[in-house]
Amino acid sequence: MMTVKEDLGMSKYESIIGLETHIQLNTHSKIFCGCKADSWKEPPNTNICPVCTGLPGVLPTLNEAVVEKAVLLALAMHVDAIQAESYFARKNYFYPDLPKGYQISQYDEPLALGGTMDLSMPDGELVRVRIDKLHVEEDAGKTVHQGNRRLIDFNRCGVPLVEMVTGPDLRSADEAAQYLIRLRQLLRWLGISEADMERGQLRCDANVSIRLKGTEELNPKTEIKNVNSIENVRSAIEAEISRQIREVESGNEIEAWTLNWDEDSSTLSKMRSKETEADYRYFREPDLLPIRISKAWLDEMKSNLPELPLERRSRFIKEYSLPLYDAEILTEERSLADYFEETVSVYTGEPKSVSNWLMNDVLRMIRDLGIFASELKMRPHHLAKIIQLVDSRSITNSTGKALLDKVQESGRNPDEIVEEEGLAQVSDEDTLKLLVKGVIDANPEQVEVYRGGKVTIIGWFVGQVMRESKGKADAQRTRAILEEFLKE
Amino acid sequence: MSEQLCDLPAFVVAQKVRSGELKATEVLESVLTRMDQVEGKTPSSSYERFEEADLEKVHAFVTITRDRAWSQAEAVDQAIRAGQDPGPLAGVPVSIKDIFCVKGTPSTAGSKILESFISPYTATPAVRLEQAGAVMVGKVNLDEFAFGSSNEASAFLPPVGNPWNPAYVPGGSSGGSAASVAAGEAAISLGTDTAGSIRQPAAFCGVVGLKPTYGRVSRYGLIAFASSLDCPGTITRNVTDAAHALNVIAGEDPYDATAVKIPVEDPVPRLEAGVKGMRIGLSPDYFQLKYPDPESGELREQAISKEIADEVYRAADYLSGAGAEIIEDVPMPNTRFGIPVYFVISRVEAASNLHRYDGVKYGYRFPGDEEDLRQLYRETRAEGFGTQVKLRILMGMYVSAQQYEKGYYEQALKVRTLIRQDFSRIFDQEGEYKLDCLLTATTPTAAFKIGEVYGDTVLMQYADLLTVPCNHAGIPGLSIPAGLNGEGLPIGIQFLGPDFSEASLLQVGRTIEMLTEDAEWRKIKPQILETL
Amino acid sequence: MPEEITREIFDHLVDLAALEMDEEEADYLRKELNNQLDAIHELEAIEFDPSTPVTSHGVPYTEAISSALREDRIEPCKEADEIVGQAPEEQDRYIVVPDIPAEELQ
Repeated sequence: MMTVKEDLGMSKYESIIGLETHIQLNTHSKIFCGCKADSWKEPPNTNICPVCTGLPGVLPTLNEAVVEKAVLLALAMHVDAIQAESYFARKNYFYPDLPKGYQISQYDEPLALGGTMDLSMPDGELVRVRIDKLHVEEDAGKTVHQGNRRLIDFNRCGVPLVEMVTGPDLRSADEAAQYLIRLRQLLRWLGISEADMERGQLRCDANVSIRLKGTEELNPKTEIKNVNSIENVRSAIEAEISRQIREVESGNEIEAWTLNWDEDSSTLSKMRSKETEADYRYFREPDLLPIRISKAWLDEMKSNLPELPLERRSRFIKEYSLPLYDAEILTEERSLADYFEETVSVYTGEPKSVSNWLMNDVLRMIRDLGIFASELKMRPHHLAKIIQLVDSRSITNSTGKALLDKVQESGRNPDEIVEEEGLAQVSDEDTLKLLVKGVIDANPEQVEVYRGGKVTIIGWFVGQVMRESKGKADAQRTRAILEEFLKE
Repeated sequence: MSEQLCDLPAFVVAQKVRSGELKATEVLESVLTRMDQVEGKTPSSSYERFEEADLEKVHAFVTITRDRAWSQAEAVDQAIRAGQDPGPLAGVPVSIKDIFCVKGTPSTAGSKILESFISPYTATPAVRLEQAGAVMVGKVNLDEFAFGSSNEASAFLPPVGNPWNPAYVPGGSSGGSAASVAAGEAAISLGTDTAGSIRQPAAFCGVVGLKPTYGRVSRYGLIAFASSLDCPGTITRNVTDAAHALNVIAGEDPYDATAVKIPVEDPVPRLEAGVKGMRIGLSPDYFQLKYPDPESGELREQAISKEIADEVYRAADYLSGAGAEIIEDVPMPNTRFGIPVYFVISRVEAASNLHRYDGVKYGYRFPGDEEDLRQLYRETRAEGFGTQVKLRILMGMYVSAQQYEKGYYEQALKVRTLIRQDFSRIFDQEGEYKLDCLLTATTPTAAFKIGEVYGDTVLMQYADLLTVPCNHAGIPGLSIPAGLNGEGLPIGIQFLGPDFSEASLLQVGRTIEMLTEDAEWRKIKPQILETL
Repeated sequence: MPEEITREIFDHLVDLAALEMDEEEADYLRKELNNQLDAIHELEAIEFDPSTPVTSHGVPYTEAISSALREDRIEPCKEADEIVGQAPEEQDRYIVVPDIPAEELQ
C-alpha cells in the first residue's frame, strides 16, 4: 500500500526502466564445445572438457543450432537487420568463473540490430519496447561462497546465451514484468529456451531512473542485479522507484549504484562497485570465423518462424469469434493453441464450445498431469467427439467430464467407452418414470417439503435421480417428470 | 662419426621398419644413445643462470618421454609381426615442441607457470603423428610461450645449444626442435612458426623448416601465442621428410574452426619433378633490413650478410640452370611494415591468450595462504612468467587499452592487408610477375653467440623482417640449408609461395637439394657430432 | 623526447595485466616498453588509404575453404577427472580459490 506521499510522488515523477536480459538457449550441446548445454543440479565439474575449461591450447567451434535459434528470436523480435556477417569478440577480464580470462561474446558487430516487442497491458494499452541489438555469447561458470573461500564449478561455462538490451522504454514495474512475461512466452513458443528464471535460463538486470513528468533528459540510473523471478523483478523495481523518489524529494542526487535484491527480506542493498572501470579491451576473436548467414539459409529460417503468440491471439478473436479472455488463455502456450485449432477443425459446432471445454476441464487436467497439450493421450478428435456427444444429448454433461479422464487414461475412442460402460444418457420415458417414482417413494419427507411450497427442492430430487442413474439420466426430462409426479 | 640409425632420414626409417628390415625399437635405442651423448644436463627452472660448461651440449629436451617412446616402438614392431599396417611413419623418432599439449606429459610452453601442468589431451598434429606410427621421444625446449628468436628466453635453463656450435643459439622459438633434429635426436620435429620461429632456427641449425599455409594444419592443442599468426609445422633433415610429415599432420579438424577444408595435395609424387618452366622471383626488399632509426626516425637500410646474399644468388643460378626463369627486382614495398604490424597484432593477441594463466585451474599457483584472489592472481603471474613474457603482456595491454582512442589493432590489421597484397600481386597468374614462388634469404645473419643479443631489442626484432611477412599473409614458407658461413655456421634460404602451394615449394626445395647433393658443405657435420 | 609510458600508465598496465613487481623490475620493464614504442610510432606513421579493409587472417576464408559449423550433438568428455585433477586445490570436485573481498555487499 502506498502512502499518500508516495502516491503524490508517483504522479509527479515518471520512471524510466530498461531491461538487460540473458537467455540460455536449449541446444543439445554448448556453444563452443560438445558438452551438454543443460547440466542443472549435476555434480560440479562433471560436464566439462578441455575447451570449456580454458585449458592451454584449446579452440572454440561454433554450434550451428545456436545461430538458428538466435536468428529465430531475432526474426520474432522484428529486428531491423540480421547481419549477413557478424563477428565474435573477446571481452577480456579476470574472474574465477571465467576460465579463459576472456568471454567470447559479440561487441560492435553483433548478429542483429534493432528490434521491437509489443506488450498489451491488462488495461488494454499497447506498449512498444525497442531493443538495440541481439547478440550471442557464452555463459560463465558458477561460484559458491564457503567462508572466505570460493568454490568454482565450470559445468555452466560455455552454455549458449542470447543477450538483448531494451531501450529505456518501460514506464513501470508492471510493464517490466509484462515484458518478461511476454518474452518468456515467446521463448517457449519458439522452442528456443525453457526460460525458467529460477533455473537461471532467463536472467534479468533492471536499469531504473526517474525524472519529472514532462522533462526529456535521462537521469543517472541504478542497476538492479540478481533478481530471479518475475515477481521479484516487479517488487525490486517498485522498491527502487520509491527509494529514488524519496531521495530526490529529500534533495539528494541519485548515484549510479549497482544494487542487489534480497528476496527474503525484500530489500535492496548496495553492491560495492568494482575498483576501476572495467577495460575489456575488445578485439575480434581470431579463433573463430565470422558468422555467415546466406540469403538461402535466412530464407529457410524465416520459413521456420511460426505465427507469433500475439498474432495468433488476434486471429483467434477474429476467426473464431472468441473474446479476448479466451484467446489469451488459449494462446498462452503453443501446443494448447494447436490443440484448440485441431479440435475446432474436426468439431462441427461453435469454436466457443471448444474453448469453454479447453479453458476449464482440459486445462485443469493438463496442469494436474504437468504435461503439454501435445502430450495428451486424449487427442483433439477425441475431445471433439466428446463435445458432440454432449451436444447431441447422447450423454450428459457430467458424463462428458468423466469421459475426459477415461479417454486420457486409456487413449480409446469416447464412443467405444460409452458403449462398453453403458454411459449413454437415459432418455427413455418409461425408465425415467421408474427412476423418479423410486426416488419419490423413498423420500416422503422431502415430498412433503416440496408440496408445502418449497419448490426449489426439486433440484435435490433431480440430483437423487442422477445419482440413482449414475449421472446418465436426461436432466431436463427428469425435472419435467418430477414436476408432473410431485404435483399430485 | 659414422652414420647411426638415428641419423637416417625419416622416410628411410619408415621404409625399413615397414619392410621388417629394421625394428622400431632398434631405432629408438640409437636415438636414446645419441641423447646421452649430446644432451648434457636436463634443463630446469631452478637454475638461475648457466655455466660455461653448459655451452658444450645441446640440452634440447625439457622432457624425454622414454616410457611412451618404448611402448610406441614396441607397438610398431608388434604390428609388423602381426602383419598389420603400422602407419606411414612407422618407427620414425619425433620430438614435439613443448608448446604442444601431449596427454600425460608435462606441457610447459617453456614456462614456470605450466611446469607442473600434465595435459589431459593431445594436440591434433601430434595425435596424427602418433597414429601414423611415429615414436614420440620427447618434448623440446623453446622460448617461453614462443616469445623469442633465440631460445634463450626459456624458464628452463641451460638454453638449447646449436649443434653446429653449442655456444651459439639454435634460433627460436622452435630452437629445441631444430637442434634435436640437427643432432640426430629426432628425425622430425613438430614446431610452430608465428614470425619465423620454424624457419629461422631451421636456417641456424642447417635443417629444413616448413611453415605450411595458415589453416593447413590444425592448431588444436597449440598453446596459443598469436592466434591469427601461429602455424604448426615441421623441422626435418631433408625435404622429402618434410613432404611425408605434411601429409600426416595437415587437414581439416573438427576441433579447429580455422583449419581449412581443402583436401591435402600429396607433395611426394612430384617432389623430384624439377623446376622447368617455373617462375621464381628475387626481391631487393628481401636483401636488406629497412627500419626507422630509433633516435631520428629516419629510414635506415642495413644489407643482410653478404655470405647469405651470395647463397641466395647461387641458389637462383642453380634453379636457372635447371630450367626455371628467375625474375629479379620484384618489388615488395610493404615488407618493412611486417615488424610494426607484427608487434601490435602479436602482443594484443598474446596478452589475451595468456589471461588464462592465473593459478586457478592448472599449473603454478603461488603457495601460501592468500586471502584475496586478486592478489593471488598477481603473485602467481609475477612469479610464473619470465621477463620477456611480462614485456609482451604489458605492451599488449598498452596497445589494446589505447584501442578506444588510437585503434592500433585495427590499423595493424589494415596494414596487414597491404602486406598480403604484395604477395597476391606477385603470385597473380594474370598479373605482371606471375611468380610460382619468391626466393629469399631466411635470416639476415647466421646464428649468434648465446648471451650476445638478448631481449626484445631492435636488432632482435628486425631480424624477423624476412620471415614475418609470410605469417601476416598466411602463405606457406620453406627454409632449406644452402651452405655454411665463414664461421662454419649454417645459412638458410627461403621459398615463399601462394596459399596452399606447399607441394610446389617442396618441389623447388628438393631440386636445390638434388643439385647440391655433392656439395662440399653437405659433407660437414654439426660440431657436436664430430666429437662423437 | 618525453616518456610516453609514464609511471602512472605503467602501473595501470600492470594492474590490467594482473601482475605485480618490485621497483627494479618495474623500472627495467618500463624503460624497455618505452624503447619499443618506436615500432608503434612506425605503424602510426604509415600512410595508406583509410578505406583499406582489415585482414584478420592472412588467408581469406572464403566459403570454399571454410569448414562447416559444428553439428549440435553432445560429445561426452572422458577427461573431466583429469581436468579437475590438474587444479592446485580441489574439494568435493569444486576448484577452490580464495574469495575476492571487494565483492562483499554492504
